[in-house]
Amino acid sequence: MHLMSGLLERLRGIVGAEACLARPEELLVYECDGLTLHRAQPTAVVLPRSRDEVCRVVRACREFGVPFVPRGAGTGLSGGAVARGGGVVIECSRMDRIVLLDPVDRFAVVEPGVVNAELSKAAAPHGLFYAPDPSSQLVCTIGGNVAENSGGPHTLKYGTTTQHVLGLELVLPDGEVVQLGSRSGFAGGYDLVGAVVGSEGTLGIVTQATVRLEPIPERVETLLAIFPDVVSACRAVGGVIQAGLVPAALEIVDQRTIAAVEASVYAAGLPLDAGAVLLVEVDGPACSLPAQVQRIREIAAASGATRVEVARDAAERQRFWRARKGAFGAMGRLAPDLYVHDAVVPRARLPEVLARICAIGDRHGLRLSNVFHAGDGNLHPNISFDRRDPDELARVLAAGVEILEECVAAGGVITGEHGIGSEKRDFMGLLFSEADLDAMKRLRASFDPEGVCNPEKIFPSTRFCAESNPKARGYERVPFDP
Amino acid sequence: MIPQASLRALRETLGPACVREDEGDRVDGEPLAPTLRPADAGALAEALRALGRLSLACVIRGGGSRLELGNPPRGASLLLSTAALAGVDEFDASEGVCHVGAGTPLAAIQALVEPSGWQLPLDPPGAGSTLGGALAAAALGPRAQGFGRPRDCVLGLEVALADGSRTHCGGRVVKNVTGYDLNKLYTGSLGTLGVIESAWLRLRPLPARVALLEFASDRLAAACAGALAAGRRPSARAASLLASRADTGARPFGVVIELAGDEASVERDAAWCGSELGAAPAAPDALARVRERQGSTPGGDGLRFRIAGLASRCALALAALEDAGAELLAHPALGLVYAGFALPGREDPEAAEAAFRCALAAAEAGGGAALLEAGPAWAKRGRDVFGDLGRALALARELKRRFDPAGLLNPGRFAGHL
Repeated sequence: MHLMSGLLERLRGIVGAEACLARPEELLVYECDGLTLHRAQPTAVVLPRSRDEVCRVVRACREFGVPFVPRGAGTGLSGGAVARGGGVVIECSRMDRIVLLDPVDRFAVVEPGVVNAELSKAAAPHGLFYAPDPSSQLVCTIGGNVAENSGGPHTLKYGTTTQHVLGLELVLPDGEVVQLGSRSGFAGGYDLVGAVVGSEGTLGIVTQATVRLEPIPERVETLLAIFPDVVSACRAVGGVIQAGLVPAALEIVDQRTIAAVEASVYAAGLPLDAGAVLLVEVDGPACSLPAQVQRIREIAAASGATRVEVARDAAERQRFWRARKGAFGAMGRLAPDLYVHDAVVPRARLPEVLARICAIGDRHGLRLSNVFHAGDGNLHPNISFDRRDPDELARVLAAGVEILEECVAAGGVITGEHGIGSEKRDFMGLLFSEADLDAMKRLRASFDPEGVCNPEKIFPSTRFCAESNPKARGYERVPFDP
Repeated sequence: MIPQASLRALRETLGPACVREDEGDRVDGEPLAPTLRPADAGALAEALRALGRLSLACVIRGGGSRLELGNPPRGASLLLSTAALAGVDEFDASEGVCHVGAGTPLAAIQALVEPSGWQLPLDPPGAGSTLGGALAAAALGPRAQGFGRPRDCVLGLEVALADGSRTHCGGRVVKNVTGYDLNKLYTGSLGTLGVIESAWLRLRPLPARVALLEFASDRLAAACAGALAAGRRPSARAASLLASRADTGARPFGVVIELAGDEASVERDAAWCGSELGAAPAAPDALARVRERQGSTPGGDGLRFRIAGLASRCALALAALEDAGAELLAHPALGLVYAGFALPGREDPEAAEAAFRCALAAAEAGGGAALLEAGPAWAKRGRDVFGDLGRALALARELKRRFDPAGLLNPGRFAGHL
């Protein structure tokens, strides 16, 4: 206890009393991120304003032997920003300056707390935008996006965060600062920028990111195609990809989701008897779009679409997107809690895997629906439930495991954009061998040999315990060295 | 030289088919033989374990087209060839992904996927380039403008670590954040953290239409500005500036532009290049010439630097190099400049020093950094061809120590002499 009060005093001295939260009621909101199932109260939360404050906070934590967890806006969906077993949460939201926006060389240097959509807004007068667009882009921050290698509906054409980060300033777990990458995107040595992006805040704390900006496409066309069933919608997706088209987005909303959306304030005027809705967005030079739109219409019709509409204006485009983006909000009407799953399968396997996922939900008596990035094969089965009902919760978790197993069996992976965090760490073994995980640990240990930066994430829990618990050392421990 | 007893032990463990005594190559001027040529990934792991037991370090060789990249090896006894790990064992034409052995020549992959409407988004210089070598060196060509960096097409890797353990990372799907992205770490690591066995690659659709154009200018700045503007057209797949060698009578600065995409976009951009830049259709081998120059050094034994900086300052970097009489090639929209310096046939540290100074000054002017891609061993001595890593060097050392503690894989070759 004395130790903790000493640490708090030190932290207050660094960031100021108002930027250091430690009362239980202040810490409540930091108990979880967007995945409400995993909760743990941190020891304290600090909100530094500068890189130097971050360094000093990290050093203080080390001195007191307390782990720390970087956090952006807390919109993550895998429990990555939660201080399991206590620790200091370092929230970067107050480091929110756009340090430099270079419209000529098309990059920006930003602090981690800059909100994703705000960067695009700042770049817009220059005809540029920041491409990665996770669903939470109105609130999520670039620092969090870097940690999670966030995607979004438009990654099919533009790629995920990793393709847009050129350089990073990182506070290492020992409090030292290192500059990685460069403004050109080329740098000598190992691609440490590539290694840090998507490392879920376990290799250090990003205090500045240099990101690529893209020219705003000249024109956008959005199509909405109604299908009798998911299988035919998936067939259309395959047809589009095989035709050599690279749409900006290819999204499918299944019938269960349509029903929920149409019953909510997000109603987009979709026919309730539709089996699935496919949303296609193409962008680029105005001259190239009519032919693409025509081709997509043909492919959709040949795949069994009963209706294909092209948005006539921005308002209609927004209405189309409401069917997709309003899905999570609409689910909120169905039950107090929503479990958003995230897995990827090869595109060709989508129809069969979806059918099995729906069967899993039905077998467990759950309200399961699907909206997903079909072009990437990135599934998001959503389960609406009430976590106060222990029996239902148990069924939700059991179904989740079965869903992951199905996706892996189909040649897929257990997360496409939400990360492993604390949610899926114990399922890493579905994909990776001891040797595979050991290679990842070598990377981890090169940055954070003592495992103090966002511990108990990514790696399976039993092994992690064996490592961090001195009594267990030498017992079932995977050796670092041959 | 490898001790006879070690050679015998290798032969006994790995078999005579794997241990090729008469097969070797020169690495930074030094002959290196024998060559271990494991027949498959299992044999590769076995070979690495044997090297570990015998404390023998190796230089890893793919197609041999990029052996000149890197600092001179430190204490390597033999070559380890991935050439036999060849073949495309899975190609999903509906998905546009394929699984390819490290020793597969890039040209073979391209030939296989093209009839199904796909292209491999890698076009580095060097005939005989293999996939493993190209990825280990993060080698790119003029089409990087449209293709992106080599790391962008890597979905998953199988990698044999120095201790002989076989690992994989990533997967076969196009979107994946399951665990650390070790694909990025291995790509461009020059085999110093592990040996790539095979890779899952993301292909790109073949464009419906391709147009190859060129224009020339008397002025370097004008050519560079034109190449930059062309490289930023939506359908640009390549836009490279090529300064002709002194003895040709042509206008000295040529720009080759490749447009690729749908009919309408290519048509429109071609019209733009014609009216704004005076570009006209180019000879079919124009891009091959660019690639050939990018991979060549003056006189075969000169120095070739790659200077990576900001696109807007590419002209400044080029100007600094032109004054020094360097041979020039650039992909301005990527901020990449390749500068070749001729050297006298003998050791001439002063000439090399002058070239290094010039390359560093150009990097400074271009807002970036210089890397020596090729040069004689004597000119590399006492330097790090990759330049200064700054504080990232400590992290790089830690990585090397943990992935290859005994220093068996390409010792001394990488940045920081790791």
